[in-house]
Formats: sequence, structure tokens, C-alpha cells
Amino acid sequence: MRPIRARLAITVAGFGALLLVALVVAPVVGSTAISLPRVFDRSIPFADNLDAQIFFIARLPRVVAATLVGASLAAAGVVFQALLRNPLATPDTLGVSSGAALGAMLAITFHLDFKIAGLPAIPLASFAGSLFALAVVYALATGRRRGLSTTVLLLAGVTMTGFLSALTMFTQYLANFTDTFRTVRWLMGMLDVGSYQPIVTVLPMLVVSFAMFATLPRALDLISLGADAAAARGVNVPRAERMALVSASLATGAAVSISGPIAFVGLVVPHLVRLFVGSDHRLVLPASALFGAVFLIGCDLVARAAFAPIELPVGIITAVIGGPFFLWLLVRSSR
Amino acid sequence: MSMQARCRVWLSAAAVVVVTTTGSTAPAQRIVSLIPAVTEMLFAIGDGPRIVGVSSYDQFPPEVSRLVRVGGLLDPDVERILSLRPDLVVLYNTQVELKQRLDRAGIEYYSYEHRALPDITTTLRTIGARIGSATRANAAADGMEGAIAAIRKSLSGVPRPRTLLVFERDRSSLRNVYASGGYGFLHDMLEAAGGTNVFADVRRQSVEVSTEMMLARKPDVIIELWYGDLARELDLSRQTQAWNILGSVPAVRNHRVYELAGDEFVVPGPRVVAATRRLAETLHPGKIK
Amino acid sequence: MLRAIGVSFTYGRGRKARDPDVLNDVFLNVERGELVGILGPNGSGKTTLLKLLGGMYRPTNGSVTLDDRPVAEWSHREIARRIAFVPQETHAPFDFTVLDIVLMGRFPHLGAFALEGPEDLAIARRALTATGTAPFEGRAFSTLSGGEKQRVVIASALAQSTQLLLLDEPTASLDIGHQIEVQMLLRQLNADQGVTMLLSTHDLNLAAALCRRLVLLKDGHVLAAGPTEEVLTPAAVQSLYSVEADIARHPATGHLTVVPIRRG
Repeated sequence: MRPIRARLAITVAGFGALLLVALVVAPVVGSTAISLPRVFDRSIPFADNLDAQIFFIARLPRVVAATLVGASLAAAGVVFQALLRNPLATPDTLGVSSGAALGAMLAITFHLDFKIAGLPAIPLASFAGSLFALAVVYALATGRRRGLSTTVLLLAGVTMTGFLSALTMFTQYLANFTDTFRTVRWLMGMLDVGSYQPIVTVLPMLVVSFAMFATLPRALDLISLGADAAAARGVNVPRAERMALVSASLATGAAVSISGPIAFVGLVVPHLVRLFVGSDHRLVLPASALFGAVFLIGCDLVARAAFAPIELPVGIITAVIGGPFFLWLLVRSSR
Repeated sequence: MSMQARCRVWLSAAAVVVVTTTGSTAPAQRIVSLIPAVTEMLFAIGDGPRIVGVSSYDQFPPEVSRLVRVGGLLDPDVERILSLRPDLVVLYNTQVELKQRLDRAGIEYYSYEHRALPDITTTLRTIGARIGSATRANAAADGMEGAIAAIRKSLSGVPRPRTLLVFERDRSSLRNVYASGGYGFLHDMLEAAGGTNVFADVRRQSVEVSTEMMLARKPDVIIELWYGDLARELDLSRQTQAWNILGSVPAVRNHRVYELAGDEFVVPGPRVVAATRRLAETLHPGKIK
Repeated sequence: MLRAIGVSFTYGRGRKARDPDVLNDVFLNVERGELVGILGPNGSGKTTLLKLLGGMYRPTNGSVTLDDRPVAEWSHREIARRIAFVPQETHAPFDFTVLDIVLMGRFPHLGAFALEGPEDLAIARRALTATGTAPFEGRAFSTLSGGEKQRVVIASALAQSTQLLLLDEPTASLDIGHQIEVQMLLRQLNADQGVTMLLSTHDLNLAAALCRRLVLLKDGHVLAAGPTEEVLTPAAVQSLYSVEADIARHPATGHLTVVPIRRG
């Protein structure tokens, strides 16, 4: 086995190259054919250059959003799986999606219309909802006992999911048809952001959480074998667990506020990546972030181009891929 | 009523069968109407007094405020309907359970299906005949068809701008934009009003419009329809600003983005004439007498 | 070398007066090169005592010192450079290889991003050889047998290059064949390589076979401490387990063997 430095370099270079290809190809491909030379042709005024308009206004923000959301959800997935010591854990396991759903539902039903720092009400409420769910779960799990109890964390997450879903259903029942549809639609995920504003607003959060991610990989390896074993090897376990939970929650919440909750990215990507690079989190975390971006760029491409002129919500594509993949994982692991 | 209207616009994507009626004998005197459009039709032909119950969403004409409310598409209050002792219930074709209950109670019903502009006058004639007001109903229907034909005629030869007709989107942002596809009464109204639907080629009632589609289709005019509580709550002049991020779209560049408020745009009943006229005046100011 | 001085410990945060003392006024020491066992029934506080000595918990009262310096003054990393801990069971939720697991032992010696170099790799491989697990280097940890897993975890602890090895019930979940395997390994590491060891166990025969000194723990108190021959008596067994037992030196192995006869 090659030493870790070499493997890390190869992994980052390989997945990085893949991401670069995706970033270059994706904005060029879509339901309307555009030509790259024309896009960058300065002699045509922008207002008359349809190719450039589509490239810069419609597609590029979308690809950037897909990159950030995909990377965040995949990295958060890796962190949650290590924290919960369970390869099948996702941000959804701890109630993130239910929190996001409730937040969005409330904003839509009560016709909240404000904007804070360029973020409209619905994504903001979604973000607040997901953070609320995670905060409650975290508080429960760090109760009396020293350190984080993964069992309590899991149970609290499941309970929170159920409770928040019930509240959402109750609100849905009281809301009218259109608002319910709107919420359902939000929950399927949408990357058509149209401008960089929603991205720019949450960029600081993403930078902070990724900076925290960078300090975690080896600690995640050790923690996944058990909190006591990790402490015995020199890990400051409470601090590492806190950092893992906070960074993964921030990243997930920020991603959800850009695009709504998108299922399966946090589950499928780490597993696919592990098939190629093994289980060492120093490789899995960066590779998952990079491949998560590629994966979501690809899914978004299919969502917007496969059934032109109709566009599907990107969450449908990730679910269509993710569902059978998940089943295959279960079958494979039960053998 | 606005909610009901929105319901129909959504559900129409799955609309299938034609209007069905069950046979009838004496003209109905106690009518319960779950469909605001049909309620308006009945009032328009002078048979409003025969209505004993309306849907929870009816708002026009003002007389409906005195009538008993019996729920809507998703939540018809069967007990209340039965307690009104109707001899005719006008319901949606998809309300299968309600139909079964009425069958058991021996009450006749009229199945309504929501489709395109011509179906409005067809429904008016059919229901008019059903309740014994064929003459008035036909006269009203003729009047509607004539009015729309007149609008069409006064715009013949006038250039038809490529128009995006938006009926739904997030407030204050351009996300979740839904526009009329190439089918349905919104599309027909737009065409009659002298506009060409940018989505005429999409055989659906509603299209979810992405940023790319808005750029690629290059509408010359954008008309946004607002109705129900939203129309009353929002400052519509601010809604136009949401389009500024697409400054290169011809409609935005040339300041031809219009906000129209009114429930008449979403109720496929007698007021489509007024709605079509408003659309025509927006698209072609000064050309309609 | 490693000392527990008047150590008491309670699990709760001490707010409730009724939280029971898991350990009460325990004194213990381990000298360099020794192989000491903490022997007691389940619930006597053995594992807690071991973890306190390893610096994983802080005592409620008293202190733990290493080379006469209080362990509480050190960071987790500094402690880990001196003391390694082998838990009773290790479960890997991910497909780590054997080498992955052993390399984790190098963590306290590495920098912030914890990337091992060739030197670390060499130390890891030496540890694998010492525990006879070198052939499994590339295999998935979860596919190993119980005994093989324990040996790998011991290798990981060895790779930590510490003066002291703490083992929590090292053979509790192993069958007799694997027990002997691990037992021989530990004896060999202590005798040939001079690794100082402290282990906790409820298995009287393991304690007798392996440890030259014993600390008998009952309900959080030290019942007796001293050389195995002196301390492991039928009276002691009676007191610890409420079992009548016969203790004799076995001709084949040369060390004390405990045979339980009846309860009471």
C-alpha cells in the first residue's frame, strides 16, 4: 500500500480533475444548444447574445450551486456516518430534512415575504428549521452522560423526524392546496437559483464548515472505532464530536437553504467513493466533497436536459439513482 | 374561490374524460354548486335564486356571501350537502366518493371537467339545458362567444407579441415560476387577446419555467396574473422588480412586464370575456373599443 | 511508574448525592516491566479503574500519576504517547484494513493532519510482526476472527510506542483457543520486549497464568494487593465471588489454577 501522502495526492488530483471536467462541460450542455465560442464573443452585445445569457445567467449559477450543495451534502454525509458509527446514516437521520420541511411549510403557509441579506423567506426558514432540529437532537444526546451517546443521538434523530413530520402534516392539513403543493415542490429540491445571491449569502457559512471539515478526517477514523478508544489514542473526543456535528449541520443547513433538501447525495456519494479509495476518512472526506459536486452537477444536467422543455426537480433524479443504489448496498452487505 | 381556481389550473394537467350528465326529468330547483365557475354561470343566466349551496371558495357574485358553504374539491361536506335537500349537485368529475354518496341518496349530479375556452360555453349551454333554462343559457353563451370573437376580430392583422403568461411564482423572487402551456383556457384567452404564447408548443396547461427557458424563449411581453388573497396582500408594483435579474429578456428590457390582479382570470366562467378584454388591452393598448 | 493515589470516582456529575461511588479510595501502582492484573467480578469497577489510570476519565477524588507527575496535567495526546489502551472489543463500522487500524496507533505522534511517513509505516509493520498478524495486513478488519482482531488491536497499541499498555478484559469474548493465543502473546511481549502491562479481568485463571502481581477489587474497594501467590487464596475467591474454590499449582503449566467447586 502506498503511503498516505501519495494516496491523498492521487485521490485529490483524480477527483479534482473530474470536477474540472464537469464544471467545463455542464454549462455548455442543456436543453438549448449553445456554442462556447459565441458565449465568449465580446463583439456581440450581451443583451443580444442569447448563448452568453443562457450560459452566464441561467446555467453557470446553477452549476455553481450544484457544486457547493453537492460538496456540502456529501461531506456532511461522511461526517454524520462517522459520528453515528453507521455507514447508512445521512443528515436526514438526525432530522435535518424534517426540520427543513417544517420551516419551509410554515413560511409558505403563513405567506412570509421578507428577505434577510438577500435570502428570501422560504430558504431562510428552511435553514432555521434544520438547525433547530439538529440543536434539539444534539442537546438530547449530550445530556447527563459524558460525551456524545450515539444511541441517544440516533433515537433523538428518529424521534425528531417523526415529531417534525407530524407538525408538517398538521400545517399541511390547515393550509390550502397551492401552499401544500409549493411545499412539496420545495422538498424535491431545485437548483435553478437564477442568480448568485443565495449562494453568496451562505458562502461564509460554507467556508467555515469546510475549514472545520479539514481538521476532522483522522479524528473521524478514530472516533468511528469507539469514543474511549479514540480518547486513548489522543483525540479530544468531546471537542471533535462537537466540531463534527456543528460543521456538518452548518454545511447541510446552508446547502438546504440554497436548493431545498436533496435526498440521497449524503448517502450515495460517500459509499461510491469508498468503493474506490477505501475507508480512510483522510481520503474519503475530500474525495466525497469533490465527487458530491460532480454527482449533483450530473444529476442536475439530467434533470434539466433529459425531458426538455420540461425540467424535473433534481431530487427526483437523485432519488431514482439513490433508491436502487441503497437497495443494492443493503443486499451486498447482508451477504 | 381563488383557491378553487388554482386547484383547477393544477389538476387540469391530468384531465381526462368529457363532461357527463345523468338523465333528468323536472328542472332542478335546489342546486348545490361546488364549482365557482358554474355558480357564476347560473347567476349570469338569472338562475342564482335556485342555488342553495356553494363551495367554500366562491366569492362572486356578491350574493353568494348569503349562501351556505359546503366545502370544495378536496373536502366536500357531504352531510351539509344532504341537509340542503338538493335536487341537483354540480361537482367535479373526479369527486368519485361524493358521487357514490349521492347515488345512494338518490340525488342527481352534474359532472364538471375543466378544460379549454370553448368548453366554457359548452358547459353553460349544457347545464342551462339541464335545468330548463336552455334559452337564456344559449343566449348568454352566444353573447360570450360573440364578445370574444369581436375582440379577436378587432385585433386581426395586428402584430402578435410573444407573450409569457405567468400565473404562479414565489413572491419577490423568480423561483417556482409557472406559466400557461399551449393548452387550456388561459392559453386560449391569450391567443384571443392577440398574443402568441411562447409555450404554444407544449401540450400542457402549465409549465414550470426555468431561468434558461425564460431566456431561450425570449418573450416580448410578460403578463403576471395575481388572484385571491395574494392579489389583495401584495404590493404588485414591487413584484415587477423581481424580473430585473433577467434584464436581457426583451420584455424586461422594453419594460413590458405587467401585473394584472383579479379572480376573473382564473375562473372559467362568464367573466372570461372581461378577462380576455383586459389581456387584450394590456397587449394592445388603445386597440380595443 | 503508574500510580493511583486515593482514587474515588462517581459517574454522575456529582450533583446528586445518591450517585453511587464506583470506586472508593483505591491505591494501586505498576512498576516498569511489570505485568499486573486487576481482578474482580463484574461491576467491581475494574474497567473504570483502568480507564482512570489511562487518563480517559478524571477521578472525583485523589489522583493518578505517571512517573510522579499527575496525569491530569497532560493533554490527551501527551498521555497517549505514554499509555496505550486495548479495549475489550473493537467494532469497525467501516471497511478498515488491518494496516489502517494499526496505523491509527501512530496518531499521538503525528502532526495536525496526521499523515504518516515511511518511519511510521515501519513501526506499524514491526507491531504486526510482533503480534503475528503480518499476513493479514491488507485484509478487512471485520473479516477476522475474535482472536485475530484482538491481536491486531494489540498491534495498534504497540504501534503507539508507549511505555505502558492497559488492557481491558483482553480475553473476555474469546474462545479457549484464542484465549491462549492472546495470553501467550502478552506474556511474550512482557517478557521478551519488556512492555509494562496492566490488565483487568474477571477470569481467575488468566490472572493467575499471566500476572505476577494482582489487585483484587470488590465493589470499588481494593480487597488485597500483592504477588499472585500470596493474594490469590480460596478466602479471597470466596470473598470476591462467593464461590468455594480449590487453588493449586498445575503440573503442566507451572502456575496457579483455580477450580470452582460450589457456590457459597
